[in-house]
Parts: sequence; structure tokens; C-alpha cells
Amino acid sequence: MLKHTFAAGLAVLGLAAGPALAQDYPTKSIEIIVPSSAGGSTDTTARIFAEIAEKKFDGFNFVINNIKGSGGQKGFEAIARAKPDGYTIGMVFTPQLVAHIVSGRASYTLDSFHIMGNMGEDPALVAVPKDSPIETLDDLAKGDDLTVAVNGIGSDDFIAAKNFEDAAGVSFNLLPTKGSTEQKSAILGGHVDASFMNLTQIIGQHKSDDARIIAMLTRDRSDLVPDVPTGVEQGYDVLMTATRGFVAPAGVPDDIAARLDEVLADVMADPEFTQKAEASSIYLLPMSGPDYLAYLETLQADTQKVFDAAPW
Amino acid sequence: MTRNTLDRLVLAGFIGLAVLLYVSTADYPGIAQKTSAKYVRFLALSFGILSAAQLLLSLRRQVPDETLDLFGRAGRFFGLLAGLVAFAVAFEPLGFFIPAAVFIPAVAVLLGYRNPLIIGASTAGVLAAVWLIFVQVLSVNLPGPGF
Amino acid sequence: MEYIAIVLAPASLLAILTGTVAGVVIGAMPGLTATMAVGLLVPFTYTMDPVLGLMLLGGIYAGAMYGGSIPAILLNTPGTPAAVATALEGYPMTRQGRGRLALKVSVVGSFMGGMLSALVLLMFAPLLAKQALAFGPAETFLLALMGLAGIVSIADEDTSLIKALLAGVLGMIIAVIGTDAMSGGLRYTFGSINLIDGIDFMPALIGLFSMIQMLDIAGQRHETTIDASILEKAQKSEPMPKGIARYMALGSGTGTVVGVLPGEGATIAAFLSYNFAKRIAGVKAKFGTGAPEGIAASEAGNNGCVGGSLVPTLTLGIPGNSVAAALMGAFIIHGMIPGPDLFAVHADKTYPFIYSLFIANVVFLIVGISVAPYLARIALIPPAIMVPVISAFAVLGSYALNQSVFDVYLMIGFAFFGLILKKIGYSLEALILGLILGPIAEGGFSQGMIIGKGSPAIFFESNIAKVMWVIILGLLTPPLVAHVRRMLRR
Repeated sequence: MLKHTFAAGLAVLGLAAGPALAQDYPTKSIEIIVPSSAGGSTDTTARIFAEIAEKKFDGFNFVINNIKGSGGQKGFEAIARAKPDGYTIGMVFTPQLVAHIVSGRASYTLDSFHIMGNMGEDPALVAVPKDSPIETLDDLAKGDDLTVAVNGIGSDDFIAAKNFEDAAGVSFNLLPTKGSTEQKSAILGGHVDASFMNLTQIIGQHKSDDARIIAMLTRDRSDLVPDVPTGVEQGYDVLMTATRGFVAPAGVPDDIAARLDEVLADVMADPEFTQKAEASSIYLLPMSGPDYLAYLETLQADTQKVFDAAPW
Repeated sequence: MTRNTLDRLVLAGFIGLAVLLYVSTADYPGIAQKTSAKYVRFLALSFGILSAAQLLLSLRRQVPDETLDLFGRAGRFFGLLAGLVAFAVAFEPLGFFIPAAVFIPAVAVLLGYRNPLIIGASTAGVLAAVWLIFVQVLSVNLPGPGF
Repeated sequence: MEYIAIVLAPASLLAILTGTVAGVVIGAMPGLTATMAVGLLVPFTYTMDPVLGLMLLGGIYAGAMYGGSIPAILLNTPGTPAAVATALEGYPMTRQGRGRLALKVSVVGSFMGGMLSALVLLMFAPLLAKQALAFGPAETFLLALMGLAGIVSIADEDTSLIKALLAGVLGMIIAVIGTDAMSGGLRYTFGSINLIDGIDFMPALIGLFSMIQMLDIAGQRHETTIDASILEKAQKSEPMPKGIARYMALGSGTGTVVGVLPGEGATIAAFLSYNFAKRIAGVKAKFGTGAPEGIAASEAGNNGCVGGSLVPTLTLGIPGNSVAAALMGAFIIHGMIPGPDLFAVHADKTYPFIYSLFIANVVFLIVGISVAPYLARIALIPPAIMVPVISAFAVLGSYALNQSVFDVYLMIGFAFFGLILKKIGYSLEALILGLILGPIAEGGFSQGMIIGKGSPAIFFESNIAKVMWVIILGLLTPPLVAHVRRMLRR
């Protein structure tokens, strides 16, 4: 641990930085900025990645730096500001990454990053209390007066709920919460009629019949809950998922960027990685850098539409 | 400044704050009007009314006034305060250890302590404890040069 | 039985011992919190055997909750917000040379609270968790009000009631800064990214208690000469006061119940238990001037939250507070998803973890009792050494929580302005209570209003709500009546 800390100090200061050359890259530890607190699922993803990457690639050593706060904004900005020498990379998550840009709060843009690729996702869904009369999205679309919980303004759930309101022509009594914990207790306690949330947050309760998922907001049904129909199947074209990808600050030398992309892709293909991710309930969604960038750009445009209609 | 003067000044300031707070809630957007704005308005109202009540009480009642000894020995008080601010300023570029190694002995001397052995031992003890607990065990990322 | 064997294995005992002792140290340091320690150590346990890792973290949680009371009693610098109520009685006792007794009462109270709540966790977790679900936003709002009722009891005797209320509301106003959860809009952040998440209560706690105390000592006109008689007294061990078990039982029960409910339970539980104890004890007990009954209740209350907060965490995956949330991360990282599975598929890890909490309580009881006589001698440290050392920890502690230098400035600001307020008679305990409970009250109020579709009737509808109103009125009426009487008499 001593070595790690020392290296982290050096990495932060950039003391040991010379012109980084791909052939002898890396010569020191690489810092991964995780914009959420230690122990969360984004953090777990980063740690499993670091563990496998260190095992597979000689000379690669990672130090994780959790910079939490402001819905990831502090961490995202730290990545964007970091020295583009390949010794600082970071994780991003959507839609917060683009939501901060759209709402005009962020001092970064998508161009501030070299997008390495996406790693995992947590698909959005609609859940209702276990004895709720709401069985399908059609039932949900009928009620103008329903109280629907979302995880904060500008979150994936919020944007999904707004898109659904738009698609179904209803207007919910939206209840913003301080996180999935509150959403979960609102659903389990029957304090709300429905909640837009993510799969990891409620799958356990769905399986133990303490709550019901009525629709997955994904293109295809999930293997984990194959009995749950998608929103598209039910005639509502609302798609949402929370992705978690890796980025580096823009301006990283091309050869180093290529090396980093390669490391990410190789780790993602590793069976041990897949198995560890599954054990920690991380759903993998590999996307290459260019694919992920395209996804982010589309998402930003969609989020902009929601923001313009009802700014927050 | 006497106790009553300061007390009344602070209360007047509180009333001003309450008014500003109340007025500002008019700008809360949409949904917040039905929820947060009500809460904040309630706070502003209670704050304003309580401050006004206390101010009235203080003006009406003949309380024996006294000069207020706010800071005691001002040199030492503000010396420590300045030391803290300097510590905070130095934190980002230099981290914890270098500023602390200066701050602890400096404040000890400022407060009239003169035994160099004890000062040195306490400083070293703090630095070692912090290094052990924060850096080694908890791996807190401290800024500045790594140790 | 086999689970008990797992807990009693040498490796497990070592993990529990390490965790608990580390927890006590962490809780005792200004600025280091159990949330932070558990959060930072979760990744560290990632490479450990899951059961050992969880035992280590559980020990930290239990130890830190107790540890917070040590500096609260000895130096009037509570290490955790849950120990603020303890300082109200503990510090006066130290000044009377009864610090050793105060420490003893605190550790025994913490032990009782911890044991009862662990027992409840073991026996009734699923049942209780189901009940806790009935607790919605409206009830959360009332729970915050119950905690805030503590302000009135802080003011009880000589200090002005209006000023205590003002301090509490000021705390709640400061807590308004940051993102408005309902609209996502920014309130009073003045364009600073540091204020988007609002003002953390830890820098405030450190500034308002630890740092103020240090500034005060630094400015003292007379060198505090150590009173020999007090010291002599401190060496003597006093027997536990009679009838104190009643207050510990009261606190343990209150803490366990409040711990199960959502919100920052430990602070509410400690103040609520303190408040209950004060109501029961009446004037005889001399609350506010060093009543061991108050320490017993508030410490049993905050440690009662440990087991309580794990009830919804383990059974439903709904953490009762931020430490429990960090602990839940440790379960998930080891592939143990909270829910019924934890007690079936993973029973071989979950039950040893719960049993380990009992051992953790025993560990800090032994540690606390055996070090109390030495700790009481902290008063011997020359102020000129103590001030810079504690100040350095205060700076570091404020920084470390969010790794933000801004928080250090906040801490200094709270200390300076807090000192002025304190000198003109405002209760800083009330201010910190408002600061901590304000956001809980606001969240509960706003969400209740949305669920109630704009009608405040929701705050009176459920049976739980009605009972809570009765308790709130019961807590408020006697001191308010007494205050009004005193005012009229003047």
C-alpha cells in the first residue's frame, strides 16, 4: 500500500513525468478517478477492472481516487482537467455526464475527453408495489394523477419518466428522491404508485415478490428477468440505461490512447473479469470508444430536448 | 463593544437575513413552489419573528450591560486564527505534513510553551499518527508531495 | 451453533478486535467518522475473506459510535454528531473532576445499547423491517421534528429559549444551501461548485465544537492552572449511580427503534433519548450541569442505532444511515445482495457477522473500562500543546471527509462566527441539530406534500403519524409551560 500511495503522490504532482512514450508506457502508476464514493457499483467496476488489468498486463499498476460529489460533476471535471499524459484516466456514468453539460453547469464538454469505451450498464425499468393494480405500461399511461418516484432531477430515471410522459401523453405527480434507497422504500412501503429505477436496485425484490417490475426500458428483454416485457413491446418507445464507461482527458498522445483502449478491450474480454462482474451484479455492455462517443452524443441531444421542454 | 450592542446588531442582521430569504423564495421554479419554497418560507418567517421578539425583549428589558470580552488575549486568539488560515492556504500545494510540521510548534510557542523536547515530540507524534492512520490504513489521498 | 464457532475462531476474533479498537480511535478523532472509515476500508476488504472483512467493518461501526463520546466528555469536542448530547452532560462532569465516572457511564451505556440492538437485529430483523416500510416521507418529517424538539430541552434552564430556537432555525437555514431536491435548481450557491451539495455538517461540527474550544483556550486571559483537588478526585473511581440502568434501557430501546427508521438515526436517537431521560428524571437530576443519566441515555441511544440501522439494510437493502450504506457496499462487493438471500443462501456469512457485533460490544466495553482512568488524565496535557495538536487534526479532518480545502475554510468560518454567537448566548448544540436535521425535515416535508398532492393532511393521516404527534407534544409542552411561567414571573 505504501508503494501505491507514493506513486499516487507522484502521479498527482506529475513529478516523474517526462515525455511519455508508448513503448515504455507505463513507467508509473495510473490513477483512475472514480466520481462516486468507494463501495458503490461504479467504484466496484473500477476496482475489478484494475485488478484484472494489473494481472494481465505487466507494468500496469492502478490507483483509485474517489472524487465524489455533485452528481459526479466534481469527478468529471477532475478528469477533464487532468494532465493528458496517460497517467490519469477516469470513469464516467450517464446520463449525469451529459446532463451537467446540458444544464449548463459543467465546465467540460464531451470534447474534453478521449472516450476509451463503455464497460457496464444498469438498465432502467418501471417498478410498482407488489399489490398494485398497475400491471402494464398501458395502465400506467391512464393515470394522470399517479405519484411516480424518480431518482433526482436530471437523473436517468427522471429523463426516462419525462420521455414516457411525452410518449403516453400523461403528466405524473413526479416525486424526486435523494437516491435509489428512498425510491426502494417508497415502492416497498407502497407510498408511491410507481417508480422509474434501475435493475440492480430492485431485482432482488422483484425475485422475492416484494415488488413488481412491469417493463424494462431496454431494446431486448433482459436475461436476468426474462418474464418482464420491454417498453417497446408494450408500444412505448422509451429506452434508458445508465452506462459506466472509461475516459481519459482529451489530448492524450495517440499511441498511449490506443494502448489504453486496447487494455480496456482486453480486460472486458477476459473470462475472469466477466465472472467477477457477474458476482457483483454488474451488467456488462462493451462498447468501443467510437461507439460509446456516438451513444453519448445521441444521449446529449435527447437530454437537451427534455431540458428545453422543462428546464431544471 | 458591549454585550447588548452586539446582541442587537446580530438580531438586526438576522431579521435582514429572514427578509432576504423570504423574498428569494418567489424565484423558486415550478414544483419547488409547492414544496421547498413553503418550507423555506416557514423557516424565514420563524427566524424573522423570533429575532424580532428577542430584539424587542432586549430593548424593553433593562439588562445590566457589560463590555464583551469576545476574543480574550487578542494576540493569541488571532494568531491561532491566522495560523489556521495559513494552514488551509498551504494545504493544496504542500499537503498536510509540511504545514503541520510548522504549524504545531509555531502555535505551541505562540501560546507560551517553551520546552523544545515536548514540542518536538508532540509534533513528531501527530505526524506519525496521521501518516499511519490516514495514509497507511485509510489510504486517504492527501495533496502535496507523497511520503 | 456452527456460526458461533466461526465467530470464535482466532482469525475472526482478531478481525473484530482490530476493527473495534480502530473504530474507537476513529470515532474519538475530530473529523474521522465511521462513514468515512467504512467507506474507505470497503475496497480494502475486497481482497479479504468476506466474513472477516464484514466483521472488521462491523467492529469499526460499533467502536466508532462509542469512541465519539470520549472527546465529547473530556474536551467538549464530540467526535461524531451523535455525541453532542453526551457532551452536554459529560463535559461539565469532567470539569467537576468526575470525568472517570462519565467515561464509565458512557461505555456501559453504549454497550447496553449495542447489545440490545444487536439482539433485536438477530431475532426480529425481517419482522421489524416490514413495519419500518410503513414509515413514509410524512413520518420521516415528523421524526425530524421529534429530534428538533431537543432544542427546547437544551434551552431548558438558564439560556434563553428564543435564542436556542433561533440557533436551531439558523442551522436549518444554513442547511438549505445547495441543490433543491425538488426542482434540481441551485439555491444560494453563489456559483460555487463547492456549495452544490450543500454544507456538510462535519466541518461545521468540527468548527463549532473542537475548534471553538481551542480558540477559546488560546484566548484565555488566565493560564488555566490545573486544580489539584479536581485531579485528585479524578483518580478516585466513583461507583455507578443508582437507578442508571433505567436510563440505559430507555436509550437502548429508543436507539434501536429510531435506528430501524430512515434518516441519520444516531443523532436523532441520542437527542431523543436524552430528551426522554430529562423528562423522566425531572429537576432532581440537574440536567445540563453534569447528569450521568443524560450520558447513559444518549450513549445507549446512539449505539442502539448500530443494530437498528442494519435491520432494513440487511433484510431489504435499504440502509438506515450513511454508515449502513457504506457497509451495504461491502456486502455487494462480495456478491451478497441484501434481501432474503442474505439469511438463506449467505446465512453462513450473515449470521457470523451479526454475532460478531456482540463481540465488538464486549471488546469496546473492556477497552473503555480499562483505559478510562488513563483517558481522564488528558486534562493534564498542557493547553499550549493540546491546542495546536487538536487544531491540526481539525484541519485534516475537515479536509479528509470530502477531500476539499473549501471545507477547511468552512470549518474556520464556523469556529469564528460560532464563537461570537456562543458568547452572546446562542446554543451551538441547537445550531448543529438544525443543520443535521434540516435536510431530513425538508426532504420529508417536500416529498410528503407531493405524495399528499399539495395537502398537508398527509402529516396527520396515518396512525404512526398520530402517535408521533402525541410524543412531540409530550416533549414540547412541559418545558414550554415552564418557560412561559418563568417569563411571567419576571
